[in-house]
Amino acid sequence: MRRVFGCGKIPWLQLALAGLIVWLAQASLIQTDATAQRPNNTGTVVIERPPLRFIKDPNPAFSAVAVDSDSNMLVVADENLFQIMEYDRRDSTPARATLTEPKRVISGTNTKAEMICGVYIDPKTKEIYALNGDTQSWMPVFSTDARGNANPSRYLNIPGHPFQMAVDEEKQLIYMSIQSDNKIEVYRKQASGVEKPVRTIEGNDTQLEDPHGIAIDFKNNLIYVSNFGNGRVEGGRTGPTYGKFDAPSITVYPLNASGNTKPLRIIEGPATLMNWPSHMAFHEDRQELFVANDADSSILVFRATDQGNAAPIRVIKGPKTGIKHPPGIALDAKLGELYVASIGVPSVTVFPVTANGDVAPLRVIRSAPAGAVGLMIGNPGAVGYDSKRQQILVPN
Amino acid sequence: MHDVRYDEVHDEIVVPVPYAEAILTFRGGADGQEGPIRIIQGPKTGQVGSRLDVDPIHNEIFVPTSTSILVYPREANGDTAPIRIIKGPDTQLRRAQSIAVDPINNIIAVGLNSDFGSEGPATEEAQEKGAILLFNRTDNGNVKPRAVIRGDKSGIIRINQMQVYPPKKLIVVAQPGIHDHMEPEGAFLGVWSYDDNGDVPPRWKLPVGPRTTLKKPFGVALNPKDKEVIISDMRQNGVLVFSVPEIF
Repeated sequence: MRRVFGCGKIPWLQLALAGLIVWLAQASLIQTDATAQRPNNTGTVVIERPPLRFIKDPNPAFSAVAVDSDSNMLVVADENLFQIMEYDRRDSTPARATLTEPKRVISGTNTKAEMICGVYIDPKTKEIYALNGDTQSWMPVFSTDARGNANPSRYLNIPGHPFQMAVDEEKQLIYMSIQSDNKIEVYRKQASGVEKPVRTIEGNDTQLEDPHGIAIDFKNNLIYVSNFGNGRVEGGRTGPTYGKFDAPSITVYPLNASGNTKPLRIIEGPATLMNWPSHMAFHEDRQELFVANDADSSILVFRATDQGNAAPIRVIKGPKTGIKHPPGIALDAKLGELYVASIGVPSVTVFPVTANGDVAPLRVIRSAPAGAVGLMIGNPGAVGYDSKRQQILVPN
Repeated sequence: MHDVRYDEVHDEIVVPVPYAEAILTFRGGADGQEGPIRIIQGPKTGQVGSRLDVDPIHNEIFVPTSTSILVYPREANGDTAPIRIIKGPDTQLRRAQSIAVDPINNIIAVGLNSDFGSEGPATEEAQEKGAILLFNRTDNGNVKPRAVIRGDKSGIIRINQMQVYPPKKLIVVAQPGIHDHMEPEGAFLGVWSYDDNGDVPPRWKLPVGPRTTLKKPFGVALNPKDKEVIISDMRQNGVLVFSVPEIF
């Protein structure tokens, strides 16, 4: 960075001065126009006309997936069209078919489900839990009858921006990562309304840095959390609060951790290949941790005991896999299958848990014609215009 | 990431990273996983919020942080303290979320956020609607805004991204309405003048509805050359480009 800044200093100055002259000239020419007059000196001129151009992805963008092999339920969250879609987990879209129709779709303004970044299927009731990552502060729960613009059976207010949930069915607790506040919150599974969490893991010692994925090893009572590495040092009374960039990591905590708890160990470093490590799933029998590695379009598999700059033991990546920017994964440990939700292509891909390298999936469930590519616009909170290149810039 | 600004004078893209409290500057033509050419971040920098604007003439970056406006040197790199701070009870800065700077007429427009109307827990912010505050570009310390646009006639619930158009002294804002209503009534893209003050309606507005197809405008950018207003719409998950010659 220093090289670019140093070498570019003089050309930048020239460029800046040239640009400044052009900019000021334009402004002064138009400035002769009078200050805007209030139309009709009274109210508002309402402009109702269609847009000249409309950039929008017509297809779903899958952000999360959950599977229940007892009921053959496969539930997928669509962050583009704001849908929760249920498929049969055995579905496989034939190559010549346009798409596979879901068994049901939950979507609409009554649902309290919008930018859905996490889904969970209750193994007993088969209710669907949906986690809003942004724009809505709710975790709605839907019955097996819910369809269309359905009201949730109940909903819980989640302050901040959660990303994934992991459920302790024995203790009836939901663990969730809160990316905006660098914390893990634990709620009663049946909590609703504005009920508070029963426990929170947060503080500078936790080394939680933009936490995204969360998975639990119930055999060894451990919580695994994936972090993007966007850190915030909370100053409190001792100093300023400020930010820092760290490498992506996976931090590990005792299952009963609370408060400002140091991680037991950290997986971090260039050998890990992590780049936006998102949803995670833990395979207890194999003692393996599966990570959806969004920005690298890959799935990484680590040993449960890995620590430090550990290389993954398997990597699923490449053109044959059909994986493109995967935020979501789910494991069916009973049948030995891994489900991957990609946001860059409108499909869910299914692999054996032992898959490694550039391998074709066992099955593909497509929600759009083959070859469709996602625009990957998600909650465009702003927009910019590059006048030099005549390009629209869309942050997500 | 909730803001992006293109600095056409220096051909740079500037973005805030709120979770890492950083301001990143990229080459204008940056692509892929290319790194930034400058990063403002660290203990002296402090917290920088989620939106910003760039003054390419006086080489400054303006950042709203809820109760303050921080001003940094545009060319700063590393841990840099703000060179000016607008803050204090007289400023009326509460939940300041968005900002736009006019380096020609020396104006700062600030948008205030609000939880007004939300179904969430009752909060202090839920009692008060958002607003647009105008300051002088060089203001510093506990200064009163030169104008406050707020009230029922204004239609402002909260302000997301905003722009200014210096040649006509206009403020162009995305007003997405009640935050947890998915398709809120009364959301619009609104245009006010620097001369407006008090509870005044926008001079022009593009409302949500079937004609415009807008549902929840979150972001706005201007293309004066082609007399276009570019709007990012959260509920549409898309970008809409309108011809609006009236305001240019």
